[in-house]
Amino acid sequence: MAESQLRSANQVSGTRARRSSRREFGARAPLERLVSVGSPIVLLIAWEIAARLHWIDVRILPAPTVVVATIIDLFRNADLAGDTWATIERFLMGMAVGTIPGVFVGLTMGLFRWVGIVLNPIFALFYNVPRIALFPLVLILVGLNDTSNILMIALGPFFTMLITSMGAVMNVEPIYRDVARNFNARPRHLYLMVTLPAITPALMDGLRLSVGLGLLGTIAVEFLVADNGLGHLIWNSWQVLSLKQSMAGLVVAAVVGWFFYGSLALLERVVMPWQRRTTFV
Amino acid sequence: MTIVTIEQRSREAAMTRQREQPPKSGGILIRGLGKTFDGNQRVEALLAVDLAVRQGEFLCIVGPSGCGKTTLLRILAGLEQPTAGSVEFDIQRDDRPLQSMVFQEQSVFPWLTVLDNVAFGLTVRGVARREREKIARGYLTKLGLDHFARAYPRQLSGGMRQRVNLARAFANDPAILLMDEPLASLDEQTKMLVQEDLLRLWEGSSKTVIFITHSLDEAIVLGDRVAVMSHRPARIKVAYEISLPRPRNALELRNNPDFIVARAQVWDALREEVLSADAAIEPSHG
Ligand SMILES: Nc1ncnc2c1ncn2[C@@H]1O[C@H](COP(=O)(O)OP(=O)(O)O)[C@@H](O)[C@H]1O
Ligand SMILES: [Mg+2]
Repeated sequence: MAESQLRSANQVSGTRARRSSRREFGARAPLERLVSVGSPIVLLIAWEIAARLHWIDVRILPAPTVVVATIIDLFRNADLAGDTWATIERFLMGMAVGTIPGVFVGLTMGLFRWVGIVLNPIFALFYNVPRIALFPLVLILVGLNDTSNILMIALGPFFTMLITSMGAVMNVEPIYRDVARNFNARPRHLYLMVTLPAITPALMDGLRLSVGLGLLGTIAVEFLVADNGLGHLIWNSWQVLSLKQSMAGLVVAAVVGWFFYGSLALLERVVMPWQRRTTFV
Repeated sequence: MTIVTIEQRSREAAMTRQREQPPKSGGILIRGLGKTFDGNQRVEALLAVDLAVRQGEFLCIVGPSGCGKTTLLRILAGLEQPTAGSVEFDIQRDDRPLQSMVFQEQSVFPWLTVLDNVAFGLTVRGVARREREKIARGYLTKLGLDHFARAYPRQLSGGMRQRVNLARAFANDPAILLMDEPLASLDEQTKMLVQEDLLRLWEGSSKTVIFITHSLDEAIVLGDRVAVMSHRPARIKVAYEISLPRPRNALELRNNPDFIVARAQVWDALREEVLSADAAIEPSHG
């Protein structure tokens, strides 16, 4: 009894300590936010000044204002909108084709010991092959079309989500599976009502990595084979030494990346409503 | 009448079973149940547990810690296979689940609302949403959790979470409820309140309950019988009838002279086992 009271007293003080440290963080937050927004702006201004004063070669690194002007020009007079959309479409298709099966296979490998034992060495073998080196093989097997491109894009997110979810499943508190088994949960419920929500926090981390890898894959296949998309624009402009256009494509690609990375925070709140901090008692 | 048998490995026990008749009154008949864990270290948890549980009774089991109480309950729950002996469940109807386990407080799913947690068993059984929510809400009302139907477990206190846990098992409407120290993590006042809730739910239900606890008071407040397990490898050493009147009130009962007598009796039996369990621990063997 004394022991359990002691323990709960410790827990209370533990919570308090955490809260007060958050408050300290909160007090510093405005300054931190100012600096974290301000430092890229300062960099941009420095770059603009350096370009205007010709401290840097503007043929290689055009000024930010010039890049923005080029972007507007490309939207108006060329098909930058179409290229952007083509990239987004490939990226989203690749993400869907990669992450969903990745999570499913990883879940299954984590849930069923023998599936894990059989599949683990196979995936380990493929995972360690540099993925882009598989591209010629994929092109031969699937054909010189967008299906190949999407498969290539999907590989990074697939492996990332597979490894993340398999590891996460093995770390799920065994008691949740015991409950599912004791209540005779069918596989559908074991997957969707128990295991998937239990590993959602880990999956969000996996998704963050996957967004980066998916975008990398998208731009890479567009460099190599596509005839549209931001990767195609960047590579093509570079080959004709139109570095302004190349830079414009790069900036738009970065904005696309920020957008998807940022929307994960929103997604996180939507798919994990139980993590919101509101208290009734 | 249906007999459900947990897999039994011992040929001897199987032969015994053929000779004897299955129980007529319903309940659970546990015969020569043994469990040895073959891990890095061989652990003989259960030696030969013999126990007849009557239908509709509230049976409490106490025993030294580490003696195999959880193991016994997990075998009954179908989460572990015995290495010897047999378990026979005698049930009259097969349109409802045989047994549900009330796990410890942290077994409530954090990602499901209170309502969905309580309806979990009904959901996996394919009961339609409207129907299962009606049943679940009924239990929430009985436990004073009406307003928390749409809340998530982390928004509740420990006592409330444990009520959700009870409601989840009761809403599944099994013939048998298996409880493994469900109230152990609660503070003393909350524990008494949840004990009363549990008694209230059970008294109108005709369910058989097997309730494991390390608290003698709790065992006697709740149980029709209290069985004492021996130290490891475990047997059932003795079982006492607790003939205190029902409905019981957890607080009043503690001052009842019969309660105090029963408590002394059970403690006598348990004390020996705890002492010999302690004596059996040899540091060099781990
Ligand atoms: N999965 C397992 N593998 C090996 N040993 C186990 C396992 N589960 C329990 N044991 C051992 O069996 C014995 C009984 O455990 P348990 O049933 O949890 O005891 P109790 O619930 O009575 O405290 C303990 O010595 C424990 O270490
Ligand atoms: Mg235990």
